[in-house]
Amino acid sequence: MKFLSRIFAEEFPFVLSCPALLWEIFFLYMPLCMLFIYSIVDYSPTLQAYQLTTIYYEQIFNTLYFRVIINSFVLAATTSFICFLIAYPVAYFLAMKVRKRYRPFLLFSLILPSWTSLIIQIYAWFFLLEKNGIVSQILYSLGIISKSFHLLNNYFSILIGMVSCFLPFMILPIYTVLEKMDKRYLEASADLGASRFETFKRVVFPISLPGVYTGLLLVFIPAFGEFAIPTLLGGSKNIFWGNVIVDKFLMSRDWRSGSALASFGIIFPVVVLVSIYVILRIMAYIKNPKVKARAGGTSYKDPWI
Amino acid sequence: MKKIRVEGVSKSFDGEVILDNLSLEIPAGQFFALLGPSGCGKTTLLRLIAGLDTVDSGKIYLGDEDITNQPIYKRRINTVFQQYALFPHLTVFENVAYSLRIKKMSDPIVKSKVTDALKMVRLTGFEAKLPRSLSGGQQQRVALARAIINEPDVLLLDEPLAALDLKLKEEMLIELIDLKDKLKTTFVYVTHDQFEALTVSDQMAIMNMNGNLEQIGTPKQIYEFPVSRFVANFVGNTNFIEGTLHVIDDQQQVEVEGLGYFQVYFPSEKYWIIPGRRLIMSIRPEKIFISKKEKEGFSNHMTGKVVNIIYYGRTTQYHVKLRNGQLLTVFEQNEEHFPQENIDYDDNVHLYFQKENVVLLEH
Repeated sequence: MKFLSRIFAEEFPFVLSCPALLWEIFFLYMPLCMLFIYSIVDYSPTLQAYQLTTIYYEQIFNTLYFRVIINSFVLAATTSFICFLIAYPVAYFLAMKVRKRYRPFLLFSLILPSWTSLIIQIYAWFFLLEKNGIVSQILYSLGIISKSFHLLNNYFSILIGMVSCFLPFMILPIYTVLEKMDKRYLEASADLGASRFETFKRVVFPISLPGVYTGLLLVFIPAFGEFAIPTLLGGSKNIFWGNVIVDKFLMSRDWRSGSALASFGIIFPVVVLVSIYVILRIMAYIKNPKVKARAGGTSYKDPWI
Repeated sequence: MKKIRVEGVSKSFDGEVILDNLSLEIPAGQFFALLGPSGCGKTTLLRLIAGLDTVDSGKIYLGDEDITNQPIYKRRINTVFQQYALFPHLTVFENVAYSLRIKKMSDPIVKSKVTDALKMVRLTGFEAKLPRSLSGGQQQRVALARAIINEPDVLLLDEPLAALDLKLKEEMLIELIDLKDKLKTTFVYVTHDQFEALTVSDQMAIMNMNGNLEQIGTPKQIYEFPVSRFVANFVGNTNFIEGTLHVIDDQQQVEVEGLGYFQVYFPSEKYWIIPGRRLIMSIRPEKIFISKKEKEGFSNHMTGKVVNIIYYGRTTQYHVKLRNGQLLTVFEQNEEHFPQENIDYDDNVHLYFQKENVVLLEH
């Protein structure tokens, strides 16, 4: 009894977080483990028993799947990069230029679209991009194009959909870091002779890097497995990792291949990101061995590591 | 090393006038303290000189050069900020080297200059550390090194020691004075702490709540000969006694209701010192002698009753209630382990002070 009450008193935050933890374990980690086990175990009719197998992974490594992986990787990377290019100025503007009392309203209007269902967001783009859609009509009436045409079912329309859906996840972490940044750093930098551009290059951007990393992660990982947007806006020409998994599970009913694909889809981006992080650390160490190695020598707080 | 001249400068924020037509000259190579209560506009003045804000009207000169509209990054003025504002992602070395990197100086020059600057603030060996791993005093030194490395004409310090504890503060004040002697730079030191201002400055200016300068002078002038009630009260402790000036038998005397006549003395004529005029006597607590016995050789004498005693260690502070009900503060130096007389609560005491130690102030 005494032990329990001590646990309650000292570890109260942990106790509070237990329900959420249990939920995650039962409904996320355990299914993921089952998925993984599914992909490496096979039932052999001849032996009348389950046995370990790598056959479903071997299937993945053929040229078709490899192209699909590269496709997904390029799409996720491009989406992340475009999101970064758009999000950084927006976040910078919000955090540095907008008066404090207008910020909540502007942030709210940025996040509002992501409150609606993803499918509805995508269909909204349908109306804009279809053959007689608004964009086509406007271009036609301006005389830029001679006859209205489809802007859907191509790589461009997929990118538009991806970027618009994932943009808030890039803006928010960058905004948070910039907003928290002490504005006197800017004054100190100017005082020491730096122009605005130099200040941005040497102070603002390096300090905001942890936010950028977080944003890249928040966009890259879901973008890698995204299947709804490419399917709806991209037609049938472009096939991505997510589409393949959905096909395996729902169309071919081949759960074991699907599990292998899904497991690989989790492992692959993690391996890529971890190796990038390790390379950055090594580079930072080579550059300045005295400072305890930190990613890129810049992030003074790594919220995601 | 250059002088700073501020001419008729005004500045308002959101319609609120902070500085109104302020003029001030800070001589070259001086350690100049700007002392005033919180929110009086002294930091605003500093920011205008630094170029962090622009003036609404008026001119600012550095030496003979008009720098009113010169952008901040071109001014040869550097600032030590209140909370230091060290760049958190850069090491001590890179923080100090910042302005040299901007100027694209070569690595060997940067290295030797940074090493010198760090040596000057006694931080050798801390090059590779990050600001957040340093103590408050060490961060303060980094901020100093960063500001002086460029050998600015003027160094501005905005309440640089406000966040430090008393012992460290005293240490840093002495180091600042040493640093100033080595650098031959004009120091402008903004503070609301009269102790800091008195300690470091060659000259100081006292600013009142309305952003006007009340008095400029050496610490001794300011403390011993304040020109206004505000200055006398803001710098150090003092007692104010109101009375009417009379000249009796060629002697200046102040008549105080319920206490009688007190002899006063003023070497220089002031326009408002006219017989029959109401005025204020300011007497510093340490310039009043307190005793239970009667003494000889003082020009003025009062009696009262001790109502409060505070033992400070170095001194003891007494609150004495006079016959007319006014409370007077008196400091007594604790020179002996066993004082000759023990003054206790409710004791009747004699208070003595010399006429030369009374400062007359306009009512």
